[in-house]
Amino acid sequence: MSGLQALQQRMLQAVLADKAPRLRGLRGDERADASSRMDVYRQGYRIRLRDALAPEFPGLHLLAGRDFGRLLKSYVAAHPSGHYNIRWHGAGLPAFLEYGLPWRERPALAEMARLDWAISTAFDAVDEVAVDPAELASVPAEAWADLHLRPQAHLQVLSGFCNVEAFRRAADRELARPRLRRYRRSRHLLVWRQALAVRYRLIEDDERMVLSAAMRDESFALLCDRLAEHHDPSAAMPRMAGILRGWLDDGVLAGWRLQQDSM
Amino acid sequence: MNATADHPLPCLGYGLGLRVDHYEALLDHPGNVEWLEIVSENYMVPGGRPLAWLERFRQRFPLVMHGVSLSIGSTDPLDDGYLARLSALAHRVEPAWISDHLCWTGVQGVNLHDLMPLPYTEEALAHVVERVSRVQDVLGRRILLENVSSYISFADAQLTEWQFLAAVAERADCLILLDINNIHVSAHNHGLSPLAYLDGIPAARVQQFHLAGHERGGQLLIDTHDAPIVDDVWQLYLQAVRRFGRVSTMIERDDHIPPLAELMAELDYARELALPLLQDVA
Repeated sequence: MSGLQALQQRMLQAVLADKAPRLRGLRGDERADASSRMDVYRQGYRIRLRDALAPEFPGLHLLAGRDFGRLLKSYVAAHPSGHYNIRWHGAGLPAFLEYGLPWRERPALAEMARLDWAISTAFDAVDEVAVDPAELASVPAEAWADLHLRPQAHLQVLSGFCNVEAFRRAADRELARPRLRRYRRSRHLLVWRQALAVRYRLIEDDERMVLSAAMRDESFALLCDRLAEHHDPSAAMPRMAGILRGWLDDGVLAGWRLQQDSM
Repeated sequence: MNATADHPLPCLGYGLGLRVDHYEALLDHPGNVEWLEIVSENYMVPGGRPLAWLERFRQRFPLVMHGVSLSIGSTDPLDDGYLARLSALAHRVEPAWISDHLCWTGVQGVNLHDLMPLPYTEEALAHVVERVSRVQDVLGRRILLENVSSYISFADAQLTEWQFLAAVAERADCLILLDINNIHVSAHNHGLSPLAYLDGIPAARVQQFHLAGHERGGQLLIDTHDAPIVDDVWQLYLQAVRRFGRVSTMIERDDHIPPLAELMAELDYARELALPLLQDVA
């Protein structure tokens, strides 16, 4: 190991340490001793990460309240950053809250962090042009069975039990803190970007199912079959039409193609 | 945008660091802002609003790219993925130049998101020179390296900071982004002479100046970019203009960001300070 390499590793450990250790080879003077000087970097690392993460998790901030600072502090202490973009250190926060004590005892926190992070990642995801409804309307009726719909690549469906979307909405609009509600049945949030605006909305279980099927590249005929398992025959097709209308209006779809599935 | 024999890249005049808070105001009323410096990493993303805004600015202003994560002095391998994204952004932006810092930002796969100083030794010098050459090969152009503010120094230093910076520039054939505030901060923190610092920098390598504010942390000065430029830094800027002549100059503000008009007033002040000296030179 070179001298430079060894020095950088010692400095790394000093920055990550809970208390500034004495590092050999550093100069101090009457202004500040070497440890105080190293402490500027040690404290700066923590402040910088917390300052960068906080705006990525406004819903979590509102939900956690006074615990938010402690939460970020414990995350930063437990997880050194590995990405060149400081903002991307937020990717590990939902899992930290889901599995780490004491935060996992409040499962709404992890749910909230997942929604905040999904919104953050959709914000600068790859640009895709939404399907023009008129274009899809030109597909002959007899060909629809072989239609494959392609949702936006960045789209995410988050499942949980709490009304975390209400917290995010309140945080974005600077509204009063809503009351946390926990539901018995799981709920599903669709997060996507329409042009440049990140959007999210609750979706029903049947819509989540057909959306997942579309993401697996299943044909429109199969999507309809899956929906028919949830509805009586007379209701399935109108429901599919309603879901598809919503996807087109919201810019959820990025493409389509006609292809017969192999038997 | 004229290039001179001393400064081979064009002189862009007086500019600002592009910040989200000023997006709309800058497009509506660009005022005296002649060019913009973007933080490269903020736009090394797949799509969305950042790149949409960037395209609008690209059409209105000359842009330069300024990175914070090249980690040119790290003993970790150069990050090929990072360089590929940086290169792709450069193709999109077509910046007048690309800069980063003479420092390291991480090691062992951990990113400290800070501009960690290097020991000014022959070993570190050889290490950085080799890496600058590789980066310049990948990007297909010379880069600018910026002097950083520092709070520690090393007992085994063999060179002064300015000797180290000058030697990197000469041996790697790169250019220098001279941060006037950083010289002031580091000179204070380490008891150095800021004028000796300026004198030690090869004029032909200086392509850009940074101006910024700082704060006091105990007995040390901390480079925070969260306050107006102080008089000592303005005075040092004057000395830099005397020494280096007409150099592209910009103001960095990263926190407590004021209304655009306030930064424009600082930019005007920089222009007014430099003008008589540049007329004398002419």
